[in-house]
Amino acid sequence: MKQERTDRSAYLFLLPATIIYLSVIVVPVFYSLYISMNKWNGIGEMTFVGLDNYANLFGNDPIFRKALANNLIWIVLTIFVTMTVALIFAVILNKRFRGRTFFRGFFYFPCVIAPIAVSIIWRWIYNPNVGFINQFFAAIGSEYSQSWISDPKVSLYAIFAAALWQAIGQPMILFLAGLQTVPVDVLEAATIDGASNARRFFSITCIMMKETFVIVIANLITAAMKVFDVVQGLTGGGPNNATQMLSTYMYSQTFQYSNVGTGTAIACVMVLMMMVVIIPYVLFTAKES
Amino acid sequence: MKIKRIASLMVSIALLASMALAGCSGSGSGSSAAGDSAAAQPDSTADSSAEGESAESGAASGESVDLTFWTLNGRMSAIDPLTEEFNAANPDINVTVAYYDTDGIKDACKVAASSNTLPHMWFNWGGSLGGFYAENGLTYDLTEYAQTNGWDNKFSAGALSLCTLHDQLSGYPTSYNVLGIYYRKDIFEQYGIAVPTTFEEFEAACATLKENGVTPISTAGLYGWHVMRFVELLIEHYAGAELHDSMNTFQESYNNDAVVQALTKYQEYCDKGYFPTGFVTADPNDTQMAVYSGQAAMDVQGQWYDGNIVQNEQDMNLYGTFAFPSGGTNRMSAFAEMTQFNKNLTDAELEASIKYMDYIYSKESTDRYGEYYNLPLPTVDAEMPAGQPNVPIMMETSNTNGTFTITDQAFPTEIADALFDVQAAIANGQMTPADGAAKIQEAIEAYHNK
Repeated sequence: MKQERTDRSAYLFLLPATIIYLSVIVVPVFYSLYISMNKWNGIGEMTFVGLDNYANLFGNDPIFRKALANNLIWIVLTIFVTMTVALIFAVILNKRFRGRTFFRGFFYFPCVIAPIAVSIIWRWIYNPNVGFINQFFAAIGSEYSQSWISDPKVSLYAIFAAALWQAIGQPMILFLAGLQTVPVDVLEAATIDGASNARRFFSITCIMMKETFVIVIANLITAAMKVFDVVQGLTGGGPNNATQMLSTYMYSQTFQYSNVGTGTAIACVMVLMMMVVIIPYVLFTAKES
Repeated sequence: MKIKRIASLMVSIALLASMALAGCSGSGSGSSAAGDSAAAQPDSTADSSAEGESAESGAASGESVDLTFWTLNGRMSAIDPLTEEFNAANPDINVTVAYYDTDGIKDACKVAASSNTLPHMWFNWGGSLGGFYAENGLTYDLTEYAQTNGWDNKFSAGALSLCTLHDQLSGYPTSYNVLGIYYRKDIFEQYGIAVPTTFEEFEAACATLKENGVTPISTAGLYGWHVMRFVELLIEHYAGAELHDSMNTFQESYNNDAVVQALTKYQEYCDKGYFPTGFVTADPNDTQMAVYSGQAAMDVQGQWYDGNIVQNEQDMNLYGTFAFPSGGTNRMSAFAEMTQFNKNLTDAELEASIKYMDYIYSKESTDRYGEYYNLPLPTVDAEMPAGQPNVPIMMETSNTNGTFTITDQAFPTEIADALFDVQAAIANGQMTPADGAAKIQEAIEAYHNK
């Protein structure tokens, strides 16, 4: 059998993209790794400290450990709450009913708002004195009142609720697209065979949307690890670091405290965490297919 | 097939890494720090680099000088028209201005400093905030310029002193601020409260206000510094002037009885509801709303608050001010503001920058837009602003009582944040005052040992 000849000129066409990719992604990644092994205030000379920044983070820094735990909680909430709610919305909005297009736009709308604007909107919703939620409880005669983002016991979940409001749109759209790829005749055949709605959904629809789930879960985990704007805007990581995230702590260390080596080490830890979660998942699903 | 899978995996890894690491490598990505992007309002996107080599010549060679200036957005209503006038009157100079909120400008300048893209001029405070740029050789040392141009006869000695950081005059002084307690006269009168002259009277006033459904003190802890203004007054009360000064210069430990007592009193006030509900994460820009509406009676503010009252069209007659009765001489906290210049300015750019500052901070300009400045100007012949009756009272009181450096300028940001965490933790009952004092000292030691 004759082997296809490699068209060497193809490499020339790849060159511009390769140069851009190397300069804006690969080189900065390795440079960041190098910075993370240095003590540096961002301006003066770097001092090589090996893995000291990492050792200090894991060994001596309770705020880092708190941020790490918060990010893990956020990932779990994202997978179980954001994805589930987005999937439910997508399934409902995939059915035929009057006003379906309006509701698709309606539920997608928060997704186009800048996260920092979301934080401003929710700051007022959560305001304990004049905010919508406490006022709503008062209006229905309830005496329940909560300092939503000031109470360290609920602040993380209050921020998550605000983020959820905004984050539903994107996975919902992806699920909607995925649902429309499920062949109707297969579902009809299952119905004729006596499968219940739930059985059809879990045994056919979900299985046939596996690729969509891969994309949604990978995106959600990445977004959960990077969550920044809404936290910074609502609490700045407070009160007393109760809502501190790796990204907000990285920002503080790098740009407020000028501990650029430590801040970059936090960023590297974020990358490693994402890889630990996502790579096995992608490999597993790719192997199955 | 396997190779393809591995290749796609590698690409995924690289993309993941780039997403997470973005913003952490040395090259900054602009001035809009995410945490404050809502408030940051760049007015122009002019090239912010003031690299000396890229800005050679300038007016001296007959070419126009392009300057960039970063300042606070609260001053936009004055700076915008004045800059337009200045540019029109000086065709060889073109100044473009970008605006940030209080915390936004701190972050934006840090990002710009690390990526070598600081503007030609930027607003800054004295103490540790402005000191960072002087310490790292990023600001133009104006010592020689000041001597040559007789700044001794232009600016007050105190202002020049506060702008002298790390043995160099690191900025053009633009204001000298003192903080006291602003209060609603009508609310005090309504409940028969006299202006407190002792700490005990202050506590009695708070109790009376609370009993009558008025929040005694409006404050907000989102960034920590507004609550700090009150906590530092309690520390001044319990520590006294000498110990307080020694603690703020790190000659004495913060882990002492006076700080524990101050934090205990702060905790007591939190428990009694002397601060607004949910103040721990409230935005300090909103504290004035509670005072304007009469929900709260007092707010720790500087003399610029008169300008805010004018800007917000409130009745000035309802507002008075007094120094917190901490005991001793009732010192007030104080801080300086300045414009710092990029170390790479050419002679032509420096001349143009000073000319611009002289115009912005001229008597004519401040007379027209007084409410947008922190008046009085820090000059030897400064006049008190018209229509701002509390300003002369506060300036005179500070001269009589004395001042201490506001804590977040005395502390590096890292230590100030530790104090802010302690404030929030005590307010939420997560930390005892004794642990709080120990934690502040721990942060001081960690900072000095790093």
